[in-house]
Amino acid sequence: MSRVTTISEQGGFWSFLRSQLRPRGKILTPFNVISVPIILLGLGILVVRFTQGLGSVTNLSQEYPWGFWIGFDVITGVAFAGGAYTITFAVYIMRMEKYHPIVRATVLNGLLAYIFYAGALALDLGRPWNIINPIIGNSFGFNSVLFLVSWHFLLYMLAELLEFSPVVAEWLGARRARRILSAMTLATVIFGVTLSCLHQSGLGALYLMAKPKIHPLWYSEFIPIFFLVSSIFAGLSMVILEGTLSHRVFKDQIDPKKHHSFEDLVIGLAKGAAIAMFVYYFFRALIFLHDKQWTLLRSGWGAWYLLEIIGLVLIPCFMFAYGVRHRSLGIIKTAAVLTLVGIVLNRLNISIIAYNWYLPVRYYPSWQEIVVTMMVVSAEIWVFRWIVLRMPVLREAHELPSDTQEKPERAAAAASL
Amino acid sequence: METYTYVNIFETKGLEYLLLMSFLVLLVLFVRYLREPGGKD
Amino acid sequence: MNRRDFLKVTGVAGMALTGTDAKGSESSSPSPEFYGVLVDTTRCIGCRACEKACATEHDFPVPDIANDGALETQRDTSETAWTVVNRFDTSEGEVFVKKQCMHCWQPACTAACLTNAMYKTQEGPVIWRSRKCMGCRFCMVSCPFDIPKFEYHEWNPKIQKCNFCFDRLQEGKKPACVEACPTDALMFGMKRDLMEIARVRIYNHPERYVHKIYGEHEVGGTGWLYLSAVPFEEVGFRTDLGTTPYPEYTRDFLYGVPLVLFGLPALLYGMNQMTGSDNED
Repeated sequence: MSRVTTISEQGGFWSFLRSQLRPRGKILTPFNVISVPIILLGLGILVVRFTQGLGSVTNLSQEYPWGFWIGFDVITGVAFAGGAYTITFAVYIMRMEKYHPIVRATVLNGLLAYIFYAGALALDLGRPWNIINPIIGNSFGFNSVLFLVSWHFLLYMLAELLEFSPVVAEWLGARRARRILSAMTLATVIFGVTLSCLHQSGLGALYLMAKPKIHPLWYSEFIPIFFLVSSIFAGLSMVILEGTLSHRVFKDQIDPKKHHSFEDLVIGLAKGAAIAMFVYYFFRALIFLHDKQWTLLRSGWGAWYLLEIIGLVLIPCFMFAYGVRHRSLGIIKTAAVLTLVGIVLNRLNISIIAYNWYLPVRYYPSWQEIVVTMMVVSAEIWVFRWIVLRMPVLREAHELPSDTQEKPERAAAAASL
Repeated sequence: METYTYVNIFETKGLEYLLLMSFLVLLVLFVRYLREPGGKD
Repeated sequence: MNRRDFLKVTGVAGMALTGTDAKGSESSSPSPEFYGVLVDTTRCIGCRACEKACATEHDFPVPDIANDGALETQRDTSETAWTVVNRFDTSEGEVFVKKQCMHCWQPACTAACLTNAMYKTQEGPVIWRSRKCMGCRFCMVSCPFDIPKFEYHEWNPKIQKCNFCFDRLQEGKKPACVEACPTDALMFGMKRDLMEIARVRIYNHPERYVHKIYGEHEVGGTGWLYLSAVPFEEVGFRTDLGTTPYPEYTRDFLYGVPLVLFGLPALLYGMNQMTGSDNED
């Protein structure tokens, strides 16, 4: 059971999650025992937040209008959800059949990530009832990057929902609906990939006008490109980790044959991540060179920057490559963890840490902000678990009675889920 | 107050192209490193 | 003088003869120029009558300007004070600087606003409209002067920032702070006129002023202009903001969005078709 030790090396939370998600019917599982109080506490905090104002539960200030909920939940969470568009691109556009087994889980993860993490944006709005304004058309702020991002979130959620809908149809036994929805898959994937490219970069573009506030080592007019490229390997790393995790937790859902091919699949994903990180590293190096930033390296900020760029981009990049060459899943998973830490650091650097870096006041998230974030994550896991245990996400789809004659076609039809 | 000096914003262009060339060389090496095991795929 | 120039001149002269009446009343046709205020910090005595007038005008807690000792510390504008005066001890002695929204010509906050709640009026003032705002605070992230302030302790919070007394302006009155200023440190007018006045002051008293008008080019030009006896960075101004209007920083990105939306789906479909085998479909 060497695999079990690997996963428990990745921290108590994950191993506990694994051990808890396994039994379907039990109610008093440690995950439930911990997540339910968190969710209840989080809801309580939200009541205070919506009656007393944002300042009553957060450490947000006039200097730091965007804190942990935006910097982590939305900006980092969406980068982590980049796996969905990367994998659907690979499978449906490039027809890489190898990755077909993980499409459903990845799309589900992407969909839920958007619903919960982008949805967390609404918690941060001071006047959330006006959220309809930029949508219903009485106030179109075309000039705003955030307008673009919010619209793309909305449309992308719809696209993801459509991509996932054949699974729901299968689950419900709606054969005709499934066939219709499957026929739309290619269109929604094309639409989804396009939207993803735009809003992943759009999240970076939010900070373009914060030029004087972000430390020059992190500000660049190319922030949108950086966000886009880094969302590719952030997404792939997330797929590697959550795929590994799902394969442990929902073992009984998975066909043993698929389990065998999982190693090949992870190595393929690691290759993609390694190349993307290699390119990203040189992008950052180019900007470093162009802006002649070596003079900035001598400060503490310089060391922090090098930690992010060398320690959490270049090193995991080489680790991925090493893991691929030596077919070592352990190293690949460690690299994926480091990569995700690097993404968290990069997004938080831009949104919080190196934002208003010259001010004497600093922002730290309050415990309430962290609890609400944990609540969002727990709720997402609850929904994910609920869906996976009921719908054919990981397991082979149950053939619907009248669906059997289509069976041979299914393998060939790349465009259907 | 304001000084008028010539600022060459393309000063580092030469270095950038050097970086680009070294990137391309390194990328080839990196990809070869990635492909080597078994040569399959 | 060729024919074309002649027509131009006669045209302009004709306009001048008929006056602005030909264009209708002031209120029906928007002012072609932005209003501004020239702040001459060499004239400011730090009496904070402007703060008091502002608070009275906009129903904020009125500061006890004689006794509250607020000048002892450096203050920022806040959700209950749209303008503050700060004291700086400089090589030229005490300097008092009023701070409020600069009313940029191309404001970052309005470009950032996805509901058009932050709005640049045709007269120049940048105002905030509560019915549209969803409280995302992107304006606060984008404003190079950190002017918009948010009510963190309200269930129905507002963005608070100087609105240039937009209501008073529409009634033909000056902003409350300008009217309250006892030393003419604040001068209200069209920016073009204010620029000329500022230049004349520098020209007439080159020893009294640094030869720069803050707000002339900063972030693409602002409605409020400042004159100072000491370099601006010594009296609380950021001089590293550049002269590019801030919306320009997102222009290329937003310009590119439709390009991607046109091109990428077609490209992706093409790639998909290329990877397919011939006998499919």
